Amino acid sequence: MSDYGAHGEQNIVSEASTADYLAVVPLVLGALAFVAGWAVVFQWVGVRDALAGVQYATLISAGHLLAGVALVGVGVLSVTDVIDNNPDSSVGVVPAGVYGAFAFVAVGLVVSQTLGQGALVWAPAGLVAAAVVAVAVLAIPEDLGVTLPVAAFEFVAGLAVVTGVVGPSWSWSPVGFSATFVGQTAIAAFAMVGSLLTVWAAANAYRGFGARGREYGAYTLISVYAVALLAVLALLVIFVVQNGLDQVLKGAQLWPLHVPFVTNGFGLRYDVNGIYPAIVGTVWLVVGAVVFAVPLAVGAAVFLTEYAEQGRFTRVVETATNGLWSTPSIVYGLFAFAFLLPRIQNHVTLLTGQLVLGFMLLPLVLITSREALQNVPDEYRDASAALGVTKWQTIRSVVLPAAVPGVLTGVILGVGRIAGETAPILLVLVREPFSSEAPSVLGSFHFTSTAPFVTNDALLSPATALPYQLFAVITAGVGAPIKFGWGTALVLLLVVISFYAVGITTRIYFRRKLRQ
Amino acid sequence: MSQTRQTTTGETEEQIRDEWLEYDFEGETALSVEDLDVYYGDDQALQSISMDIPEKSVTALIGPSGCGKSTFLRCLNRMNDRISAARVEGSVEFNGENIYADGVDLVELRKRIGMVFQHPNPFPKSIRDNISYGPRKHGDLDTGLVARLLGRDDRDEEEDLVERCLRGAALWDEVKDRLDDNALGLSGGQQQRLCIARALAVGPDVLLMDEPASALDPIATSKIEDLVEELAEDYTVVIVTHNMQQAARISDQTAVFLTGGELVEYGDTDQIFENPQSQRVEDYITGKFG
Repeated sequence: MSDYGAHGEQNIVSEASTADYLAVVPLVLGALAFVAGWAVVFQWVGVRDALAGVQYATLISAGHLLAGVALVGVGVLSVTDVIDNNPDSSVGVVPAGVYGAFAFVAVGLVVSQTLGQGALVWAPAGLVAAAVVAVAVLAIPEDLGVTLPVAAFEFVAGLAVVTGVVGPSWSWSPVGFSATFVGQTAIAAFAMVGSLLTVWAAANAYRGFGARGREYGAYTLISVYAVALLAVLALLVIFVVQNGLDQVLKGAQLWPLHVPFVTNGFGLRYDVNGIYPAIVGTVWLVVGAVVFAVPLAVGAAVFLTEYAEQGRFTRVVETATNGLWSTPSIVYGLFAFAFLLPRIQNHVTLLTGQLVLGFMLLPLVLITSREALQNVPDEYRDASAALGVTKWQTIRSVVLPAAVPGVLTGVILGVGRIAGETAPILLVLVREPFSSEAPSVLGSFHFTSTAPFVTNDALLSPATALPYQLFAVITAGVGAPIKFGWGTALVLLLVVISFYAVGITTRIYFRRKLRQ
Repeated sequence: MSQTRQTTTGETEEQIRDEWLEYDFEGETALSVEDLDVYYGDDQALQSISMDIPEKSVTALIGPSGCGKSTFLRCLNRMNDRISAARVEGSVEFNGENIYADGVDLVELRKRIGMVFQHPNPFPKSIRDNISYGPRKHGDLDTGLVARLLGRDDRDEEEDLVERCLRGAALWDEVKDRLDDNALGLSGGQQQRLCIARALAVGPDVLLMDEPASALDPIATSKIEDLVEELAEDYTVVIVTHNMQQAARISDQTAVFLTGGELVEYGDTDQIFENPQSQRVEDYITGKFG
């Protein structure tokens, strides 16, 4: 039989057998353990809570052991050819290295903590263990190499918890280390790491090892990571809603719709203190920043992309822009405090806040606009030039419309960031964080027949903003209970989400216009 | 009498004879090229090309890849100006004026000498807007709000123009019911005919086509070919192709460029394909090289 090409036993169509379903057992157990790990970390359940008379810790360790047994079963059935699988001769260097790292950590911890040996003993011991494990794994066929080490981890973790070595009441304060690890965290960590390993191994086994198995294993692992990431985001939102909803709905009624927390100011004359001035302040800050920054940034991007000679100058500008975008926001705030403030009214104003946030928005919109303009196909420019249309007309009627969705992406990202910025407005915007009146920008325009022809008192007065108010409540504990802060956080989240919604809807509209 | 310059490439060390490039045609000359050299940086892409292109006919430029035929085409309406590394020497006379002279209005030049590209490149706009784009930008059509308020609404003219150009590009019957749909929804062949219609809309005298059918399937190609032959009744068409059958089918005269950026032979299409004078041209046409 040749080493290459199709091998005799392998069918092109392979039906799922009972043995394949055996691999589903650890897959499901792994998924459950993952959820359990998260639940413990977020303290929805304690490891000492009981479900049907059994402690969660015991349940989780039983899951570890069961998954280990199932994995060993799959591995043994595969290597004895009871299951018709297609494993390679070895599991490969990367998994072997990962197993070795696990062995290093485990042996190192045991030698240093349990046996009390110094670094001169535990480090070589760990290295030897890692080398032994890695070499041993490389020597056995892939089906065993995938299942056995993972099963070993599961057994160790399960036994450690069930025998109480690392039980719910266990705690560990390493010498020379200020942190203390408790059983709760350790069990959750075991559950999550074990579940990732198990899910990978089981998915690999389910597709019969080999190239197909590796692909499926990797794919499943990435999916689990992605889901976990989304779950973290969802949890964050849920957490804020959970804590803030009471405050937001304080005194609220459905019909006629009345939510005093959102529509009231802060002061003695309100029965329920609200954050309306801060909401309006944040909206005006963002609107002002966008109006100031977007035309400038798009103009600069057009100049850099369409007119400037591509070379050292554009590269320097590009680097400088990237640097500006990563400049800490408090630096912007300080700049505005030292430079803008003395030149505008000499006290904190809404306008200064808008300008400093505009400065922050500028680099991101510039970067994304430039990218969007560069992505407009040169064919459009050629076609337009060949029709005898001037460069500026081409930019205005073909290039910019085609780049609008990309520009909007930058604006959306930037607005999401500046709407929540506290540091830059700390020094330039707020005199009284809990104000009773919202700035009435539209109503404050005054037109005169002499210069400066138009004035706006609201823009030149102090204002307040949601993130600043939140900061004041949480850190300084000024004026309002912590619950008030959670309500503010929830509203801030909603305001940012509404900005996103507006931006994304506009982007969809422009994309449609380009494609339909 | 033969030129002194030696060919540097090709299988035979053959010298280009002046009589291979002599082409006597009846009618007016649309474009007259004199000693045209093009350099990309230090590389010479075209070597002293001279030829007269007769008006209201199809002139095919053929040759192997990299022979400079597209570069030559782009010289005819100064699209090479858009490549900063390109340098052009020599002259191209259009209606007796040198388009490389100082003070040439590129906008006006490109209105008179339109271009169709290898890959269909309609704008991401409606079919109607694609066609009226050029005239609108030139101020010949105004359908904007201000014009409408002032009673200078050109929408009827726009309708006429769109229909005339789409008919001219043999596309009207296929798209007349969906003029407001995005042009990117058309098939490749339809998009290319739309690009031709768009070029017609600015009222050119000359149409330059850079392998207009090379990205299209055989049916779309044959439609483009028929269209090119029709267009030659009213326009001067210069078409680059590396499909020799196509050149033989649709062109009145053919210019053969060979590697190194030389124009080797220029003459009546039938003569070039049936009785080429240059050995290298014969080798190229019969498929022995290139």
